[in-house]
Amino acid sequence: MRVIRVAFPHAQLPDTAYEKTADALIALAEKSPRHFLALSSGLASLDTLPAGAFLDLNAMDATARLRAIEHTEFFAFVRANTVLTLYNLPEVWEALGYEGASFDKGGYLTRGFNDLDWLPEPRIEEYTGELNHVEIGPLTRQVGAASGPAESASTRDEVTK
Amino acid sequence: MTAIDHDEEAVVIIGSGAGGGTLAYELTARGIKVVVLEAGPHITNDEYVNDEWAAFSQMAWLDPRTTSGSWRIARDFPNLPAWIVKAVGGSTTHWSGATPRFLAHEFQARSTYGAIDGANLLDWPLTLAELAPYYDRAEIAMGSTHRHGRAALPANNNYKVFANGAARVGYNFYATGPYATNAEPYDGRPASVQDGFNFQGDKSGAKWSTLVREIPRAGATGHLDLRPLSQAVQITHDQTGRADAVLYLDAAGGLHRQRARIVCVAGNSIETPRLLLLSASSLFPDGLANSSGQVGRNYMRHTTGSVYAQFPDPVHSYRGETMAGIIADEARHDERRGFAGRYYLETLSLGPAFLAAFADPGSWGRDFTSILDGYAHTAGLWIVGEDMPQETNRITLNGSVTDAAGLPVANVNFDDHPNDVAMRDHGYRQAELLYDAVGSISAHRTPPYPSTHNLGTSRMSARPEDGVVNKFGRAHDVPNLFVSDGSVFTTGAAANPTLTIVALAIRQADHIAEQLANRSL
Repeated sequence: MRVIRVAFPHAQLPDTAYEKTADALIALAEKSPRHFLALSSGLASLDTLPAGAFLDLNAMDATARLRAIEHTEFFAFVRANTVLTLYNLPEVWEALGYEGASFDKGGYLTRGFNDLDWLPEPRIEEYTGELNHVEIGPLTRQVGAASGPAESASTRDEVTK
Repeated sequence: MTAIDHDEEAVVIIGSGAGGGTLAYELTARGIKVVVLEAGPHITNDEYVNDEWAAFSQMAWLDPRTTSGSWRIARDFPNLPAWIVKAVGGSTTHWSGATPRFLAHEFQARSTYGAIDGANLLDWPLTLAELAPYYDRAEIAMGSTHRHGRAALPANNNYKVFANGAARVGYNFYATGPYATNAEPYDGRPASVQDGFNFQGDKSGAKWSTLVREIPRAGATGHLDLRPLSQAVQITHDQTGRADAVLYLDAAGGLHRQRARIVCVAGNSIETPRLLLLSASSLFPDGLANSSGQVGRNYMRHTTGSVYAQFPDPVHSYRGETMAGIIADEARHDERRGFAGRYYLETLSLGPAFLAAFADPGSWGRDFTSILDGYAHTAGLWIVGEDMPQETNRITLNGSVTDAAGLPVANVNFDDHPNDVAMRDHGYRQAELLYDAVGSISAHRTPPYPSTHNLGTSRMSARPEDGVVNKFGRAHDVPNLFVSDGSVFTTGAAANPTLTIVALAIRQADHIAEQLANRSL
């Protein structure tokens, strides 16, 4: 679990998420002698390096220790399966601000699919102004980064048209 | 559903996606008997799950495949070159819905771009003017928003960031479509409830697919025999070189033979050439319809990439229609940008499970977790543009890896062309400028996903020596063999391919029906 937390640090995740992931990895490794061996020997080796036991290292030193072994079969197994497991846990979705399935609740149609209010309402129809869509060659006017403040009259006029 | 005898000479269509499903409907509606062999199961809308990994397990084509070449997929996902569906309806059951058309010059890529080193460019034997009436029919069938009176979808949160950014960098040609999901009830199907699951099965039926439209309508004609869990393994031919039957395996591994008067292959651009290569015979030693040597070659996957940007304020980009946002200003051929061809920017959002899997495969540590930490404040977009056809980007049979039936699996070899890399980098920069213009605090470049747009590999050509099929998708070498999917694309163009596959299938159906009527087939 410590390896997983060091490799995938998230301040907002509950301990249970890391515990469940560690349990899932152990259960997965137990199905394959090769993975079980890699997991057991990999965990054992973490405590045999000169810098001291892995569990006693601070986060920076522990990360450096993992970086040194990131190409081992042990770490590849832990990394790949943590990605598949940890981020598929509903409590992780909740902690990250993801609400998941919505169909049974009527979708997000009345539950905030368009509740962003820190930008003006944009045009949804296709452009109908005087410019023609350029198919071949450069655009007829400069495109680049924003040239003025977000709420300038010309910008607002364009996005609300 | 109608049963058609195995000894009855039917039109046999292999695959039920955008090409095969459309063709089945168009032919059965004219009273022509059709057998559809679909490798996957028949999953219905109420069975779909709105959960990324569960839906992936339920729908994706997971039979073994191998990869080679310098593309990053060969390292990160060596057995998953493509993310496509194995089920009735094919990949129309998990496609996003964007339906731009090709432009006129994209049918003349070789003439427009000139010779490009390493690119096997060729003009299509077809023009936009010839295809335009079929584009109309396809858009009407699919209910594309912004077209033929269909209403635009409303702006979701991800689109608000995208469109405001577009306006501030000076782009003009942005909108919430065209997009083949209903903004209002249409064609017997409901309006979108913005449930946020677009790369999974659509539970509501608001999104067009051949599962909800063409397949059931073909069934209602009484002329369709749809056989799910039927994997075609060989197309056979008679002594004169005409296709005469398709051999296929049922779910239990039992081998069947369906006689055919016409065979139409629509298995997507990996399985289609695999089947043609598996159908090699003494008459066609290099594979069926492969006298040109072009079967399997010129595999294209579109130049893609994503940018995920984080903002001080919440976005909740996962709510709503995922790809209902398209910018077309960069969709122009402009050599001053340093590459040939054009690209679109389209809104994109993944759930945490897929974002973690695909944002930067192989990566870990704080750089990686910061991408997820800002999840609720993240807006995302996808770059999708034309990639260069290359002869060495190629589907071959892997002699050392076999599938459950003991047949060689497809190997997908792919290298980016320098033109692809230059286009992708340009797209990344423009996307970062766009998000910076609306106040992003970070932006992450994501490499291409396993291919969702699989094109080429049985391309159309005017001359038999340059390609596999003619302008109607008929094999140059076999008079009653057709290819009916994106494999026929001579070049990839920039547009999401489904609309064009459907338009070509409708056109092919008209051609086949006409040929059958005047007995020239």
